[in-house]
Amino acid sequence: MSNRRPSMVERRSSINEYSTQYEDSRVSSPIPHLAGLEKPLPETIPEEVDVVIAGTGLVESILAAALSWQGSNVLHIDSNDYYGDSTATLTINQLIKWVERVNKGLINNYKNAMLYFPNNTELEYQNLIQSKDYGIDLTPKILFAKSDLLSLLIKSRVYKYLEFLPLSSFHFFENDNFEKMNNSKKNIFINQSISLINKRSLMKFIKFSINWENSLEIWNDYKKKSIKEFLQDKFKLELNQINELIFAIGLCNNDTISTPEALTRIKRYLISFDVYGNFPVMYSKYGGAGEISQGFCRSAAVAGTTYKLNTKILNYDPISKIAKLSDNSKVKINEKLIISSTQSTSFLSSSTSQTTTASYEIQRLTVIVKKSCSEWFENNESSAIVVFPTNSLKSGNKFAVQAIIMGENTEITSSNTTVWYLSTIETGDQGRADLESALESMEKSILRESKNFEEPEILSQSIKFGDDVNNNFKSGEKLQYLLKFYYIQSTSLPHSGVVNTSQYRRKNSTTSTTFNDDVLFSSLPSSEISYDGIITSVKLLYELISGSDDDFFDVDFEDEDEQDDNNLSGFNNDSSINDQINSKSINDDDNNEDDEVIDSEAVEFADDMEL
Amino acid sequence: MSQESSRPQPRLVQFKLVLLGESAVGKSSIVHRFVKDSFDDYRESTIGAAFLTQTIELNPEITIKFEIWDTAGQERYKSLAPMYYRNSNAAVVVYDITQESSLERAKIWIKELQRQASQDIVIALVGNKADLEEERQVDNEHAKLLAEEEGLLFFEVSAKSGDGIKTIFQNIAEKLPVEAQLNKSQQKLANKVNLQRPSTNNQASCCV
Repeated sequence: MSNRRPSMVERRSSINEYSTQYEDSRVSSPIPHLAGLEKPLPETIPEEVDVVIAGTGLVESILAAALSWQGSNVLHIDSNDYYGDSTATLTINQLIKWVERVNKGLINNYKNAMLYFPNNTELEYQNLIQSKDYGIDLTPKILFAKSDLLSLLIKSRVYKYLEFLPLSSFHFFENDNFEKMNNSKKNIFINQSISLINKRSLMKFIKFSINWENSLEIWNDYKKKSIKEFLQDKFKLELNQINELIFAIGLCNNDTISTPEALTRIKRYLISFDVYGNFPVMYSKYGGAGEISQGFCRSAAVAGTTYKLNTKILNYDPISKIAKLSDNSKVKINEKLIISSTQSTSFLSSSTSQTTTASYEIQRLTVIVKKSCSEWFENNESSAIVVFPTNSLKSGNKFAVQAIIMGENTEITSSNTTVWYLSTIETGDQGRADLESALESMEKSILRESKNFEEPEILSQSIKFGDDVNNNFKSGEKLQYLLKFYYIQSTSLPHSGVVNTSQYRRKNSTTSTTFNDDVLFSSLPSSEISYDGIITSVKLLYELISGSDDDFFDVDFEDEDEQDDNNLSGFNNDSSINDQINSKSINDDDNNEDDEVIDSEAVEFADDMEL
Repeated sequence: MSQESSRPQPRLVQFKLVLLGESAVGKSSIVHRFVKDSFDDYRESTIGAAFLTQTIELNPEITIKFEIWDTAGQERYKSLAPMYYRNSNAAVVVYDITQESSLERAKIWIKELQRQASQDIVIALVGNKADLEEERQVDNEHAKLLAEEEGLLFFEVSAKSGDGIKTIFQNIAEKLPVEAQLNKSQQKLANKVNLQRPSTNNQASCCV
């Protein structure tokens, strides 16, 4: 704390003058004036800044916004001509270039990138690569309704740049079958395939898991044991229920995961349910992490951060503290230089190879298929999660394969097509075999399902998601792929470390190693399918830069048009999202005190999450 | 009050409008004049969100609400994010009539809009600082011709005096596809999650 920089209020005395001069006494928060709105910006790059950040990935973008709202003078650059770095959302054309660069060894920590365009005519291919319809995420992620990132999106107002859609369909694959998950109390009771005694056990476990931290006596003996053992011994659950809890609700990579960690993950799902509606997770339209990165970069720009794409650091001299950039400009860095692993340049290579040991691997297979896949989505939704538990695939998978399915309403793909993002933490040839095997199962399932769709009598309300593959599937129909995209990413962030904050902190502090104390390296994204762990990473870096995370996004925005917004979207209807079309409410343009109350509740909720 | 209840409420239709142009041409002053009808030294920001909103009455039935996005400086090094252009319905490309070079820059922004934004975007080319007639470098007819060739609206205005400012937005409003937008925004709202409004605060309503 002793080396703490002056806060923004102390740094920018002009703001205080502004507040007192300004008639409206409501404006009291220490907000810097909007860059570019109050005075012409300087013509050249600032010669002296507090912090330079290289790489516009999600962690770095949130960091840039947090630092600049705190009052730091930030220069944020990226060697790419797009935002997002390793969490970017790319067009097909950008994807082709990305793959070429990975295979030339130009992007650290990525390898074996392959891109196929099967069965496309030249015309289709040209349309595909020139189209703006597609946005493929390098790091696809889903957002839990109760999570630190969501709270920050609200608090920082970055959510205003984004649109979120609900996701409630979780499928898991077992015995060559897709099972639709029992994601609510109601479903558990309706489901006739579960015996009454099992229903009781399941409900008992769910009640326990909501508040598991306070029932130490139940799991104390299982601290170091697997969740599977725990669920078998303590709750007498059946294997398929155990798998469902571990792999679908918990989104764990394997069933040997420790009991406390798995309970954290299961609870995350349960408490996210019904926060904004009848779904536990959301995803952002037009692309996931890439879109959110852009939102935080814009927020940072509003707070004064300077942005330069297509720019990299050529050199840094720790003595003069001057960095030379590829646009021939020079910048003096008062505090820290933060470099994303993908942006490291040759001057650092000797030291980075020692400091950033990327020892965890993620394999990803992303395909675009010519099918709407609406059979997998809930009504009015456009995405689903599919998980393949340990040992459920022909390839004999040791780890889960997780898949996010995105339909056309996500606006990341063209009409009547779907993007399937598959991933596993399995390594080497086995990892690829697992992904291919999962893809094959999904292909068979969707062909079978869409066939069934034409014969409605087969469809019932049942939880079964398709018939037995071996018996009923004889269709000669082939699924058409527009694109197949495969690559291996490595990271220094552990697979399991994202939910337990203290564990994550400890491990991360050894991997975010300093270089001359001036340079920090941020890691590539972990294998975690949700955004959990991102804010922890950001805060860790923030603390290393500014001495403490006490004032992390400690801003109190006052939006003058808040009431308007509420009138457009905050209707007095509890059944929420599907019922928001109500022209009467749209017309109601008066100031509405009820709406103010609603909004403050939402913000309080954000504070709950200990930002 | 009685008057209000006797006539039908106008429908509010929202459009996204983006600002473009070299820095110091007065983009923000134009918006400030439109939104606040003043030319202050202090440009108030829509804090945090960085867009300002202003409504304009198109006719007794329809009120247009502009959500106005400023570049927040990201245009300086050609680093505007795709997010900026996405779903923009209108653009105001500003140059300074006393700076020849600013019109050249405006041409580049128009090209960029044609490349990045949707095809039916309404673009207005706006020459600011019309109050500085004696320092004029850009001929009115020349810029007007350019706008006609590209199919753009054209205005010369003074953010300082306020002359012509409202006309820009009024003319843009008249060209916007109101009905199409009404349908679109209803569809969009139908599935969108409203983050300002948690449905319950019950931590575990699904299972307790």
